[in-house]
Amino acid sequence: MKAFFFGESKAALYGVYHPAGGQVQRDYGVVLCYPFGQEYMRSHRAFRQIATQLSKKGFHVLRFDYRGTGDSSGNMEDMLASNCLEDIDTAIEELKSMTDLKAVSLMGLRMGAIFASASANRREDIKKLAVWDPMLSGEDCENELLLEINKDDVEPWNFMDDEETLHFNGFPLTKAFRSSLKEIDIVSQLPEVEQLLQVVSHETASFDRLKNTWGNTKAELTYVYSESPSDWNYVDDFGGILLPQPVIQTLVSWFANEGDV
Amino acid sequence: MKERVIAVSENTSRDKTSLVGVLCEPETLDKKKPAVLILNSGIMHRIGTCRLSVKLSRALAESGIASVRFDYSGVGDSDPRRGGMSFLESAPLETVEVMDYIQKHRGINKFILYGLCSGADAAYETALVDKRVIGICQIDGYCYRTLGWYINHYLPRSCKLDVWLRYFKRKLSDSSHKSIDDIDPEYIERASYIREFPPKLEITNGLQQLVDDKVAMYCLFTDGQSSLINDASQFKKSFRKVNFGKYLTVDYMPEAEHIITEPDCQKDVVKRIVNWVLLCSS
Repeated sequence: MKAFFFGESKAALYGVYHPAGGQVQRDYGVVLCYPFGQEYMRSHRAFRQIATQLSKKGFHVLRFDYRGTGDSSGNMEDMLASNCLEDIDTAIEELKSMTDLKAVSLMGLRMGAIFASASANRREDIKKLAVWDPMLSGEDCENELLLEINKDDVEPWNFMDDEETLHFNGFPLTKAFRSSLKEIDIVSQLPEVEQLLQVVSHETASFDRLKNTWGNTKAELTYVYSESPSDWNYVDDFGGILLPQPVIQTLVSWFANEGDV
Repeated sequence: MKERVIAVSENTSRDKTSLVGVLCEPETLDKKKPAVLILNSGIMHRIGTCRLSVKLSRALAESGIASVRFDYSGVGDSDPRRGGMSFLESAPLETVEVMDYIQKHRGINKFILYGLCSGADAAYETALVDKRVIGICQIDGYCYRTLGWYINHYLPRSCKLDVWLRYFKRKLSDSSHKSIDDIDPEYIERASYIREFPPKLEITNGLQQLVDDKVAMYCLFTDGQSSLINDASQFKKSFRKVNFGKYLTVDYMPEAEHIITEPDCQKDVVKRIVNWVLLCSS
């Protein structure tokens, strides 16, 4: 495992590269796309485990922080959704140049699923796409957050400020960021890949909508319902980390073409 | 400001496992100034709650101070290590390793340790065993109730109707989130370190040792610790036997939640810490 900064120095991205091990040689690498804010904190461990396990199965894996998040340069207040897509492009090119691979696959959780899918819509070198508890669009994300901050028992740190920056669990989503995110809808902007995995920890109408749409594309869809805690935004004093092993195993097995997945 | 990834390897182990961190430096490094080590809080990785550690390290660099935010073994991007040591045994050893690394590679031999919650405990424990530590900055570190706490806590509340209403609502409500203990271990990682405050006498002796060693202390308390402290002067009063002299600064921010979720509080906390570090450095 190698942690490093890559990309342009003005927008340096922090990444962790997990080189391929094991007996099997794979013809594509995997780039992991984190979710945002508290969800990123809560899922960081799971992403590390997924990366480690995939590397043991012969995959070169790169997980990275978008600019303005994690250890990458910049502030979240200056981000646009288009920057996240640029950062995924940079990460893909970095992994390809490190490994001489010609193709990659993507995995994204929640908002990371929006970006991973949008990236697979724009690029031609994405082989497989896996989404985990995906948000479907910028509109979807906005509605979810508005619902949260308009609850009667909303925490005082979750609010919309005078400049229409939405503060949620200590992370700011500016009006500009949310507007740019609304340009993405993964149900209408279909990913150009050979295989799709949608793994969900609970069942909702929007997950069904995505399943039905993706089920009618040329790509082979695998849909897995693996009941597990899904309160990605829950904040506690212990840094409560979700580590749903059945979901992690589903993702790893699907990429490795193993088992019943 | 410059940032680079560092991987600090254990010197004594055959396993060569690394602690991963980010060294954040000002454009021009003054080796006479201390470096700040930013410690993990619980099992959260090194960017800190609400990215506070990243914001703090960059603000320090803008003020001419180098810092390292790193992960203890088994946390974030750092490898797990073998052995049955507890957190309070392994954390000081690993913090010392990172100080050794910075001393070797940057020539800095004075350090300030910053930590929130369990990170505050680790900062205190390390300062007791390594003389290179000239200051510790703790958010919600060890503290103990005094008679003043009970008066401040209960007297105003007993007369307020809304306090009683909230109390009964809490008692009657069914939280929509499962407590950490209710979640199947297959789905969650728990912190191995269960925070228990040591006997007050032990901390009293430790604080006196730090004062004797001329270690400056900045203790900042939030509302998250209000079940134990509710006034800035309480900390000093609870350790009457310690002659802190000029070595203690205490702030109480009742407007801040334990993990500093409020945007204004985040800015305020970073500003207060940077100012204190600069004061220590001079």
